[in-house]
Amino acid sequence: MSNRFDRRSFMRISGSGVLAAGLAGPLTACGGSESGSSGSNELIWWDYLVEEARQPGIKALIADIEKQVGVKITRRSFPFAELEPAIIKGAASGDLPDIAIVDNTSMNSFVPQGLLTDLTDRVKEWGQSKAYYEGPWNSGVIDGKTYSVPNNSNCLCLYYNTEMLEAAGVEPPKTWDELAEAAKKLTKGDTFGFAMSAIKTEEGVFQFEPFLWSTGGDLDTFGTDGAKALGFLKELVDAGSMSKQSVGWTQQDANTQFVSGRAAMQINGPWQLPALQEQTKVKWGVVPIPIDKEPASCLGGENWVILKTSGKADQCWKAIVRSQEKTVLAKYLDGLGLLPARSDMADAGKWASDPTLKVFVQEFANARPRSYGPNYPQMSQAMAEALQASLTGSSSPQAAARKAASAITPKLKK
Amino acid sequence: MSLQVKAREPLKAVEKTETVRRGRSLAVRRTRAGYVMSAPALLFLGATMLFPLAYNFWTSVHDVAIGDLLTGDWQFSGADNYDSVASEGAFWHAVRVSLVFTAGSLFFQFTIGFALALLFVKTFPLAGLFRSLMLVAWLLPPIVSGTLFRWMLDADAGAYNELLRLVGLDSLAHNWLTDPSTALPGVIAANIWVGVPFNMLLLLVGLQSIDPTLYEAAEIDGAGPWQRLRHITVPMMKPVAAAVLLLGLIYTFKVFDLVFVLTGGGPVDSTRVLPLYVYEIAFKLFQLGRGAAAGTLLLVIPLIVAIVYVRRLRKEGAT
Repeated sequence: MSNRFDRRSFMRISGSGVLAAGLAGPLTACGGSESGSSGSNELIWWDYLVEEARQPGIKALIADIEKQVGVKITRRSFPFAELEPAIIKGAASGDLPDIAIVDNTSMNSFVPQGLLTDLTDRVKEWGQSKAYYEGPWNSGVIDGKTYSVPNNSNCLCLYYNTEMLEAAGVEPPKTWDELAEAAKKLTKGDTFGFAMSAIKTEEGVFQFEPFLWSTGGDLDTFGTDGAKALGFLKELVDAGSMSKQSVGWTQQDANTQFVSGRAAMQINGPWQLPALQEQTKVKWGVVPIPIDKEPASCLGGENWVILKTSGKADQCWKAIVRSQEKTVLAKYLDGLGLLPARSDMADAGKWASDPTLKVFVQEFANARPRSYGPNYPQMSQAMAEALQASLTGSSSPQAAARKAASAITPKLKK
Repeated sequence: MSLQVKAREPLKAVEKTETVRRGRSLAVRRTRAGYVMSAPALLFLGATMLFPLAYNFWTSVHDVAIGDLLTGDWQFSGADNYDSVASEGAFWHAVRVSLVFTAGSLFFQFTIGFALALLFVKTFPLAGLFRSLMLVAWLLPPIVSGTLFRWMLDADAGAYNELLRLVGLDSLAHNWLTDPSTALPGVIAANIWVGVPFNMLLLLVGLQSIDPTLYEAAEIDGAGPWQRLRHITVPMMKPVAAAVLLLGLIYTFKVFDLVFVLTGGGPVDSTRVLPLYVYEIAFKLFQLGRGAAAGTLLLVIPLIVAIVYVRRLRKEGAT
């Protein structure tokens, strides 16, 4: 008797489980809270600067803006990867900030989607656009209109382990050939000569693009120049100078390899400097990324934007202008360990005296933004897959580049 | 099967006479009260499941980009999104990966789970403790189990390769998760580990509900352990096994987080299961309409399975 009853109730329960499990789709994330700004001088502010060490600097900036501009700021911060989806979901539910600090590649998708306020006239009146490095500034200029003000910038350089290079009698490489040769000499036992992130996201593409650009090519010549750049990195893997694991590494992972002495050189950005300066395990130096034909680096950084839904664009603009005053900006950047996007501040902060920071600041001249328009996410995905396919050997660099080019080319023309 | 049907008859007779005795008006009143009482649950289901589903479907037949969310200016596009998804090689690749992932996971989860259930149905010292420990794998958040496996399968510092080297099998040490040919098996292995306790537990409940007198009777008739397993356990477990496999299928088919943490779908696209593919379209390429269409397609397979299962349940209840 007990047998029958048990089985039946069990079936009933599992039956409803089946329905529930089957129905709960993956794309049911919507809705959200109705927050919206209430007071007329209250600004909602979103960013992704969540690191503990950065909080005092941001709070100081907010306090300063509140005092000088006469607004009340309500801040919400997200982990890096969640700010963009939050803005997308916010667009659906009407829950958007007035002002935000976003990654400069986000401009590619936000502007064509009509999410941002056109700042062209305000910028003209302000008259300071010439004070910025061209790359960072242009990341916010789309079809001749300006949609953002760069707040800070970063780019990529080559970090090297000074002791390992000395021991192997190798100079920091300047060209691709020197890089390949140095990486080979530096590869010993558990240590790889060279490390970089080649993960299947924009992060890996960010690392790869300097190699593409250095060939003198760009996305429109990916079939040939992309193949060359991919081929060079593939040779590093084949020679054993670069770990196959790099296709799963984030930039943070690459840095971990470097700090633990398992990589003699790595490509990375200035955001690793605080961690590197804190540790005493490895001694290191920084040089620009070795070149094929042209010097090139990839530009990263954050931009100020005003959401189109905000009814308080004027106050937002005042807040941005205040944040860009040199004294205010220098204090903020120093406090957060960031680098300026303004060329007229090259000798104003910590970066003017710190020799490693200086390398990064000088490299801005060669750093390019990824302003490829609204289809950039698709192009990025195509490049990420080409990079992975080449490095893992699942297809030849030529075939991978051809495949990516066929995905990229139609998107460029649009 | 015949045994089960026979045993059920007397109970049905009792149910019937009871309804007749209580009369009609009571039945109507009971139905009404039933609706009232289930209203909160239905409302909840409507708000948290039916609405999002309908919204997702609505999105999938429109051409929606982020900006259109603001303006509310959605262009109806009919089946365009479905066409464009279904004509993409990447979609069918994701379907294949999902099928391999699901089949591989289920086969091993079930067989290992069944073997463990047969072990734990016996009482032996510390059985309870081991059984609870087994559950840890099921209780861990996928983020944690994913990270664990990522470390264990790491080529340079991972536990598996270390173990292989320790026993002198250096040549088998491998870039498990970064080689396109072993990444999927690696992800499946992690998912098997996660799913075994779930299978074991449900199968164990099933085993425990088998009437012990059946075994005693068989034993008296001279049936050995193999015959008892073959002729009592297996047939008696069939419905439970079907339920476990179907639940497992639906659950496994929509696994996202574990794969996301382990490989992010890579290298290249070797572990890009259908849910990851949907995620990439919607939240990396920002093609919300196409993402919704792909999401709806993702629902199709588990939904068919669910419907077949529920129908079977009903049929069984009717006999």
